[in-house]
Amino acid sequence: MPRLLDPRAWWRRIRRGWRSSLALRMISMTVLLSTIAAVGVGVAIDLSVRQSLLDARRTQLVTLSQNATISGQRSFEVSAGQADPDIDAVLNGGLRAIVNAAATTSEGTSYALLPAPGQNVPGEFANAISPALQFGVLDVVVSESIRAAVGADEEGRIYSQSTGVPRADGTIAPAIVTGSTVEIRGVRYELYLVYDISDTQQTLSTIQFALAGAGLVLIVLIGVVAFLVVRLVVGPVEVAAATSRRLAAGDLDVRLPVRGDDVLATLARSFNGMAESLRGQITRLAELSSVQQRFVSDVSHELRTPLTTIRLAGDVLRDRTDRFDPETARTVELLHTQILRFEELLADLLEMSRFDAGAVEMEYDRVNVARLVEDTVAGMTMLADQRGSELVVIAEGGHFEAEIDARRIRRILTNLIGNAIDHGEGRPIEVWVDSDAGAAAIAVRDFGVGIAAADLDRVFARFWRADPSRQRTTGGSGLGLAISLEDAALHGGWLEAWSAPGQGSCFRLTVPRRRGISLGGSPLPLPPELPLESAEPAAAGAGDAG
Amino acid sequence: MVNARILVVDDDPALAEMIGIVLRAEDYDVAFCADGAAALDAFHAERPDLILLDVMLPGLDGVEVCARIRAESGIPIIMLTARTDTIDVVAGLEAGADDYVAKPFNTKELVARIRTRLRPVTRPSSDVVRIGDLELDVIGHEVRRGTERINLTPLEFELLLALALKPEQVFTREMLLEQVWGYQYKADTRLVNVHVQRLRAKIEEDPDNPTLVTTVRGVGYRAGS
Repeated sequence: MPRLLDPRAWWRRIRRGWRSSLALRMISMTVLLSTIAAVGVGVAIDLSVRQSLLDARRTQLVTLSQNATISGQRSFEVSAGQADPDIDAVLNGGLRAIVNAAATTSEGTSYALLPAPGQNVPGEFANAISPALQFGVLDVVVSESIRAAVGADEEGRIYSQSTGVPRADGTIAPAIVTGSTVEIRGVRYELYLVYDISDTQQTLSTIQFALAGAGLVLIVLIGVVAFLVVRLVVGPVEVAAATSRRLAAGDLDVRLPVRGDDVLATLARSFNGMAESLRGQITRLAELSSVQQRFVSDVSHELRTPLTTIRLAGDVLRDRTDRFDPETARTVELLHTQILRFEELLADLLEMSRFDAGAVEMEYDRVNVARLVEDTVAGMTMLADQRGSELVVIAEGGHFEAEIDARRIRRILTNLIGNAIDHGEGRPIEVWVDSDAGAAAIAVRDFGVGIAAADLDRVFARFWRADPSRQRTTGGSGLGLAISLEDAALHGGWLEAWSAPGQGSCFRLTVPRRRGISLGGSPLPLPPELPLESAEPAAAGAGDAG
Repeated sequence: MVNARILVVDDDPALAEMIGIVLRAEDYDVAFCADGAAALDAFHAERPDLILLDVMLPGLDGVEVCARIRAESGIPIIMLTARTDTIDVVAGLEAGADDYVAKPFNTKELVARIRTRLRPVTRPSSDVVRIGDLELDVIGHEVRRGTERINLTPLEFELLLALALKPEQVFTREMLLEQVWGYQYKADTRLVNVHVQRLRAKIEEDPDNPTLVTTVRGVGYRAGS
């Protein structure tokens, strides 16, 4: 829940979406820019329409007011010319003429007939104001500026101004006020006519609404068009990206569909050409590699028959050493050991070629790993004794069986212990075993010179030797660790090396307890360390617990 | 006692001669044949006690030669093979070879394999051993079901006898490899698997549902169920 509410998480998600989707970026940019353009154009149209509408309306109303003023003036003059005129009748007749002439909008026209400032008004008449403008409304509707302009007028012009009339519901109706002067019996009056122009505003609103709607539709349309265009262009690019991913993942047969003759088709064609040439190269390399593997395998096998003859001959000679003089006897001995070494090298080479060809068969069995370690260590104790190294098995309780190829695990262990004896400087060698629910681990730790950090990466390389000058007792083809690494990998396991110069090195093998499951970690640390309170002799040989 | 006679069928003259030298030093009589097609005639002419047979032979390949000799004789056959990881070994064993030696082998290995195959069967206390409805005549090296005689090679007879002598015991493949094939160290368990199959094919009423030599899953084999 907090993740859903966290605005930063949302921001990150949006940013990621923005960065990762070209289509989203292109569509958003198009829509944004066209929105800006549409709003600009809309505002401009609205302003000019409003201006011209209002101007036309005002001109019309000014003309109307002019006519009304003239009609009113005439009415006043006619009634004023009669005998014994009643001032009320004069005014009413004039106002009626004015209102009739000025009646235009449905909302009606309000009027105000006020004496001009500074005029001597007969007592019985002060002013005439239509009901809508009474009670102070007049001062709000008719501004000081227009009153000043009308008051200063000498030429009988009509003045006009935009204003607003409060409605009964409290809103303001747009209106135009015109101001003019009339004379009644020699007294100057100011005549203000207020026209409600809500209908014009209505028209304007309708136009605005239509404009906004059209703009919105336009933007949506532009968005849709942008989406289609982007899909047309980005779609194939995305397909190309997905196809290259599959190609990179090793699916060499994928191709892009080629449609039409445009730039995208050209892209697809060049991509397909590239994929084709890639497949050709890889196939050629694979063939070359398999030819080489077969060659290595064939050579190894072809060498076996003559090697057997040599081996038998060496054996026959060796059985008769006592009949030879010392130098010949030594020669025979050298011949014998080198034949053995050659045999070992050939066997390792053949094993390696099997790994390379992927032609290995695993013989899984349920094996007690601790027991396997003890058996193997027992078999190598004599060799270790010759070099003065003591082999110590440290097995920490609770060991169950693991499903492994015992021959391969034994081969790895023999190789690791052999290496430890070779480089252990005659110091003790610890062989650790432990297992947990998912994995079994064996670590071989020596306290010799160790391996330089730069070389640690290369110890598993074929034919790599730690120190060519070092004396070797276990022979070794130079393929030992490479084969061990392959054997570990066949189990779905790990073979890792640790070393510190002067402190020795440690090789740790970790294999899954059951075949096919993947490793999560190793039951043993690298390198394994004895807890301080645990005495070494107590731990040695504890593998019987399994 | 007359020296045992061994026929070496190998097309590599140097190796054949070297094997001859080694075997003569061990007091065996040795005869040679360098061609697969001629091997059967050589077998008839020389009447050897054991055959060393190379798998890769000109004329007729070793597996085929093995099958033809096995069709008429139970003589011990040891294959010489360069490719232990291919189906050659299994094919050779299925064709009836008793054992195989992988090149490059040394004198000791070769001689040990030959000795095991030529050694006399250890005599049990009784002359007749029974297993199911079968009767094993230890002296006559014969197996009978009622009056019907079943032809077993010496190796198959030895395998069946080993199982029949201790009907209560489950034999692991390693135990059988040591007892019947004379291997002191871990050896190829395919030897046991293939020969148990061949044995079942001869003695069981229904080889797919064996009752005389049964498999104990994860361990090995035993006589009866």
